[in-house]
Amino acid sequence: MATDHSPSAIRGKKVPSWLALSLLTILLWGVWGATSKAVSNDIDAYMNQILFTLGLMPLMLLVLRSRRLLGGNNRKRGIFYAFLTGILGGTGNIAFFKSLTLGGQASIVVPMTAMSPLVTVLMALVFLRERLSTSQKIGLGIAFVAIYLLSLEG
Amino acid sequence: MHVPIWLVYALVALIFWGITGVTQKLSTNCISTQLSFLWFAIAFVPIALVILAVTPLDWHLKPGILGLAVVGGALNGLGAFTSFAALKSGGKASIVIPLVYLYPLVTILLALLFLHERLTGAQGAGIILAIIAAVLLSREAAPPEKALP
Repeated sequence: MATDHSPSAIRGKKVPSWLALSLLTILLWGVWGATSKAVSNDIDAYMNQILFTLGLMPLMLLVLRSRRLLGGNNRKRGIFYAFLTGILGGTGNIAFFKSLTLGGQASIVVPMTAMSPLVTVLMALVFLRERLSTSQKIGLGIAFVAIYLLSLEG
Repeated sequence: MHVPIWLVYALVALIFWGITGVTQKLSTNCISTQLSFLWFAIAFVPIALVILAVTPLDWHLKPGILGLAVVGGALNGLGAFTSFAALKSGGKASIVIPLVYLYPLVTILLALLFLHERLTGAQGAGIILAIIAAVLLSREAAPPEKALP
């Protein structure tokens, strides 16, 4: 059967799974953002980090039961990078809180650190040799303006 | 030249968080989403233990606040899981990470609805640009079959 490349067929095409999962991430983190907004006045950052870790526990138990836990082409390397992700993420959180408590103004620190995906993009282009389409390049430019605007406190 | 200490910490957060996008991708290149998430989450345990050891904490919190903070951790963890899964299923770090960092769009809309916050002009513009950016970021390059051999 010939592949239909007509515009209507492309429009009707299934959303790629990486995109669907990214949109789901936006939704989950968006709700998380609202919960952390709701508790931020009553809880300090360190306590929040502890309770956050408690919240991860049931998820850890869930994935422990997964049969997909085994396998992979280079387990040591994969585990190293996954663990490093957690360490960098967690210490990044603490550095962010420290910055705010050591004189950093939220109006500067929050938008500045919100730009962290810029570091990811630069590193991914250089070290992972990722290539982008033209519309993705334009999209990145607009995304960073959006991320900046969305990080400004109301 | 004197660099204020808060700026050093802010730069550390900026760079560390930025690197995580790449290490996430490197991890899912080698192992499953599940195993990646497990070791990512395990890393938070020693960090929590260090905090418990060195910082006096106030445990006298309202149960509702305590519960909401734990639920927040679980939601954030689920989002981390789906972001690992997005990278595992072929998403590029340079696209997936900026895309998922548009999440305050949802937070602002929820705060508008449930926390009765008001929308600022900057936020309104941010929401519109975030939607345009998401559409553009989702447009992959043409499939390589069309390229010359």
